Amino acid sequence: MNLMAEILIQVVIAFLAGSLLLGLHRKIMARVQRRPGPPIIQYLLHSLKFFFKETSIPKTVSKPFYIGIVFILALIWIVGVIVGPVAHDSLLILFGVYAVYKIVEHNSGSSSGSPYGKLSCVRAVLSAATELPLFASIVFVYLVTGSMNIGEIIAYQSVHGSLVYTIPFAALMFFMLIITKSPYSPFAITKDKALISGFETEHFGLLRGFMHFSESIAWYVMLWVFLTIFFGPLNAVGYLIGMIVITFITGFINATTPILSPNHSVMTQITIGAFCFFATILMIFI
Amino acid sequence: MLNYMIYILAFVVGSIIGLVYSYKKHGEPFVAVTKFNFLAAIISTIGWILAFNAGNVILSAIGFALAGFIMGERPGYGRKESAVGLIISIIVYLLSLNWIA
Repeated sequence: MNLMAEILIQVVIAFLAGSLLLGLHRKIMARVQRRPGPPIIQYLLHSLKFFFKETSIPKTVSKPFYIGIVFILALIWIVGVIVGPVAHDSLLILFGVYAVYKIVEHNSGSSSGSPYGKLSCVRAVLSAATELPLFASIVFVYLVTGSMNIGEIIAYQSVHGSLVYTIPFAALMFFMLIITKSPYSPFAITKDKALISGFETEHFGLLRGFMHFSESIAWYVMLWVFLTIFFGPLNAVGYLIGMIVITFITGFINATTPILSPNHSVMTQITIGAFCFFATILMIFI
Repeated sequence: MLNYMIYILAFVVGSIIGLVYSYKKHGEPFVAVTKFNFLAAIISTIGWILAFNAGNVILSAIGFALAGFIMGERPGYGRKESAVGLIISIIVYLLSLNWIA
């Protein structure tokens, strides 16, 4: 198939599947909290709705930055789709995508001129702590498989079995990143409701639509990468079941756990990351 | 991958139609429905069976649309019916794999 067509199809799948999974996530949280919750399709409908809403731009914003950052956010996650599901390329590029995502989160808050956005921007710097366990997790995958290439990691797993059995604590580190990225997460300090919507507070209409679009794709890409590098090789049904199960687990965790304060959030992540790091070293070398 | 995109689009369109239809039919404030709707269960079962077992893109897409129609109904409606349809279709799928039979 033509590469451009493949990219387009994968981006549409990532957007729709990611939106449905985030809708499911919201539904699960609601059911755990004994509320009826919105329909599963609601997150997607919200995203589409924003594309048709009026886009107003506050006077205090740094305009080129404020607008540009949203498109950069969408672009980096599209790159994530291209590197992951389409090309099965290097994990390092995906690590770069996540690092740029943190920068975008930071700059999106600072460009808005809103105190809520700015506070979220400061917290985005703190929450970059999640990148350490992610990086460690990728390094362990490299140490075991001898490759950063997703295609080669899948091939390795088809011969030696899934990596989750070899380095389960590295998988746990990656899973912590997924919890961090999930909505209403105990670690989601940049989107604390005390900051309204954090770095997204001052983005309206079309710009917010693009942000929702990016969030959906981000959720899909991260679940895809996690399942691929630790549970591979999987077929479409395997991915579907895996993504639904992870969404269920994160939904349960987030519904029952209050958001942590920024310093507690960072320390908890670093502590879990450090424990998993040493546990994985022991498992690999001893 | 084109077929997966068609399936997911069919499911989304079915869900949206189901939501709109459901709100038109049941305009009242939220009530936890305890009644089992047999017609919805039959539609859901046909949908899920077609979706997983048809082996044909068009039929599977129709199946996903029907399944989405029931699953996408407004909160409180179509839950049990979707669950019944999904369970039956999974059993049919497993039987077709000769795991159980």
